[in-house]
Amino acid sequence: MSAVPSSADAGRGAVYDRGYRPYEGPRGRRGAATFALYKASMRRALGLRRTWRQKVAPFVLLGVVTIPAIVNVGIGYITRDQIGGDRIQIIDYRDYVGVSSALLLFVGLVAPDVMCPDRRQRVLPLMFARPLIGVDYVVAKVGAIATILFAFSFLPQVVLFLGNMLVSDSALDYFTGHLDVLWKVPISVLLLALYYAVIGCAISSLTDRRIVAGAAVIGLFLLTSISSGIIVGDWSIEGGSYGALINVLAMPLYLRDVVFLGKVADDSPLNHMAGGGLLALACYLGVLFTGSAVLWWRYRWVER
Amino acid sequence: MSTAPLLRLTGLTKQYPGVTALDDLTLDLPRGRVGLVGANGAGKSTMFRLLLGLAHPTKGRVEVCGIDVGADPIGVRSRLGYMPEHDCLPLDQTAADVVSTFGELSGLPARAARQRASDILDLVGLDEARFRPIGGFSTGMRQRTKLAQALVGDPELVLLDEPTAGLDPLGREEMLSLVARLGSFGISVLMATHLLDDVQQVCDHVVMIDAGRLVVSGGTESLLERTGLVTVDVGLHGEALVAALTSRGLASVITDGLVEVTVDGDRDMDLIRDTVADAGLPLFRLSTRLTSLDEVFVRRSGGTA
Amino acid sequence: MSADDELIDDPALASNATVEVGAVSVWFGPKVALSELTCSFGPGVSGLLGPNGAGKTTLMRAITGLVGVNEGSIRVNGRDPRRDRSVHADMALVPEDEAVPAGLTARQFTHYLASLHRITDREAPEIALRTVDLLDVADRQVDTFSKGMRQRAKIAAALVTGPQVLVLDEPLNGADPVQRAHLIELFKHLGAAGRTVIVSSHVLNEVERMADRVIVLVHGRLAAAGGHRAIRDAMDDTPRHVLVRADDGRRLAAALVGLDSVTGVNFDPARGELIVLTLQARELAVALPRLAKHASVRLLEVRPLDDSLESLFRELVR
Repeated sequence: MSAVPSSADAGRGAVYDRGYRPYEGPRGRRGAATFALYKASMRRALGLRRTWRQKVAPFVLLGVVTIPAIVNVGIGYITRDQIGGDRIQIIDYRDYVGVSSALLLFVGLVAPDVMCPDRRQRVLPLMFARPLIGVDYVVAKVGAIATILFAFSFLPQVVLFLGNMLVSDSALDYFTGHLDVLWKVPISVLLLALYYAVIGCAISSLTDRRIVAGAAVIGLFLLTSISSGIIVGDWSIEGGSYGALINVLAMPLYLRDVVFLGKVADDSPLNHMAGGGLLALACYLGVLFTGSAVLWWRYRWVER
Repeated sequence: MSTAPLLRLTGLTKQYPGVTALDDLTLDLPRGRVGLVGANGAGKSTMFRLLLGLAHPTKGRVEVCGIDVGADPIGVRSRLGYMPEHDCLPLDQTAADVVSTFGELSGLPARAARQRASDILDLVGLDEARFRPIGGFSTGMRQRTKLAQALVGDPELVLLDEPTAGLDPLGREEMLSLVARLGSFGISVLMATHLLDDVQQVCDHVVMIDAGRLVVSGGTESLLERTGLVTVDVGLHGEALVAALTSRGLASVITDGLVEVTVDGDRDMDLIRDTVADAGLPLFRLSTRLTSLDEVFVRRSGGTA
Repeated sequence: MSADDELIDDPALASNATVEVGAVSVWFGPKVALSELTCSFGPGVSGLLGPNGAGKTTLMRAITGLVGVNEGSIRVNGRDPRRDRSVHADMALVPEDEAVPAGLTARQFTHYLASLHRITDREAPEIALRTVDLLDVADRQVDTFSKGMRQRAKIAAALVTGPQVLVLDEPLNGADPVQRAHLIELFKHLGAAGRTVIVSSHVLNEVERMADRVIVLVHGRLAAAGGHRAIRDAMDDTPRHVLVRADDGRRLAAALVGLDSVTGVNFDPARGELIVLTLQARELAVALPRLAKHASVRLLEVRPLDDSLESLFRELVR
């Protein structure tokens, strides 16, 4: 067979219509739209598909919250040959499910960034013409923030656990000896993530300016934390106080203690208060409920 | 595609405290390009809200593409695209990203959304600009991006709110020709505008509303009635033409520098032609005078503001 | 012809000019908004046209003294609007943006402006409100108005001072068809009464109706000036397009091709329409009816396609 091009090919020609192609494929409804909004909001929060400058905050934060885990593992590794006694642990799992200022700053930064621009740039009407209702919008946004907060709090725990496993004498023994951590950590981190997501989003939904929302979120936390601290006084000496329940910032920590210890911790400002655990749970749910009510009110789209 | 009319309004009324936005509207709109013109009131925004299922009628029913909006607003919204009048795009994202995200929000799988976004951006004429943030776009480019997000979900009907607002004459022409092409893609258009000229150029059907009441709804062509008058422009020689026509039995007057001849049948057209030719006058223009939509509107809405 | 006569014959300069723009250049940093612009405006309605970014808004703000010129001079009735505050008693600007003062009703707004300019006639604000048809909503707050109504409120506020020079940037924006018709009549009336009305608008067929002359800016420079038909005649190196509909288009087309004045004929058999290209519009106009009569072809429509301001604009801006 010769390799000479056939002249017959040159004799044929056609023009293809590059016009409009209707869409024939699968088309989702509320569920698909909600999920798409959820993904898009997470991308926005993490700075994906935007300039590198928007990626700095999230990833620096992730680094910051993971540092204690790395340090702990490092120390464990360096001292692993010490005979006798436990490894030196600078942080345990319960403490690590905590509220670092880094995480707080992150909520104050990211929740407004996910909620406010839609309102300020008047993007909301574009959502109107989609198979999406107010509830879907809120679920997607809160879900996105909660997922990120969960991931950012959970990842360091994983690093800590794996690291501890690896520097211990027997990884398998460590694993089987710490099975409870495997369910306590995820649950308490989830409680934390959901809580801050709802608060951050609810406050951000009240304004269209990101700076105002961010300041309000951080302000609320600081204010209640400080006032609670004043009311409670020095709880290590005088015992706990119900004033601890005003501390919006630290509320999930009481629940964390319940998850980890089965009761309110001795070293918490709520210690030895009757029904402390139940009250903490009630306040927690109260905050979630109020936040959800605010969100529902701000994103009601259909008028009667 | 179903054979249901594009829009069916039955006794549609919407009242707010102190004002009746829409008053007992009943009409059927065919598929195609429809112009919506309103005077004296917020009828247009109310209408869009009702069509999108974002407001409930005080009385009456709305059916879009055969679906009752009250019964299935989500189903209706799956078939609609909406291009608002105001700025509504996130400024720090690229056009490609925004259009494809909105495609996903319309229910399309991610890959299909990206594909369609690319196709639609081609269609509206955004080339490399699509990879730049919208914040840097001119008005024309923003309008095109707004149109693109309305089309990305392959809607049956697209709602356009003043699509040519803010555009200079060239931009307006381009936008109108885009809108005109939508019909050939099988997409119906409901275009709300204050510019009757846009409607006359692009729409097959026009609906006029004055203070919430229906003034007229009909095919654009049929509304532009023939007047039985023929307009002739012979430059500065109008008087001479009038005299010559009179001598041949045709009545005419001069209005605004043009000669308006009363004709009765096409034979008279030949008479005009011959009169002009014999007198050696220049024939710059010869046309049957049609009313413009402006005149139709003003006449039928009573003309008072 | 003396140099003075030539100057007066320049269509960019109006006779009895009230607003004179002399070799004006304005720049904002690296961006040149106006470049050596010379033109003037007089009594009557002048349309100011151009693509977005051509400098129309800058020119309006320079004329009303809101922006200083880097080079050249602007004189309103002989005075410099930037330095001489007395000019502002005779001039009013209605800008395009939607900002209106919060908390004032339409009536309060016009009365406030009247008192700012020390107009003691109590009737003036009411007359202004009536002129723009806002009397029945005069006691509603302007920030609750629709876009079209806000425009009218701003026009009323400008009219209340009885200005001799009125500069309006897209005044019909947001107005519904009935309001547009009213406003167009209003501007024509003001122009006929001897005021200098300068209007910028993108809706060219409305500018055609309102304005006696137009000034076209492109990239900060003067692209054309004068009556639009006269401008069209001045562009004699581009062929005109004339649409002709006849009962036997093909025969007419064949005959037309033989004419000296015809440079081209497009025939669309489906619609029976011809588009005739010519560089000599008048010669064609005389020859056409003769040719049609001779060939026994009935003419149904003859329409020049580039006669409108729209087509002129398209040519100028390309």
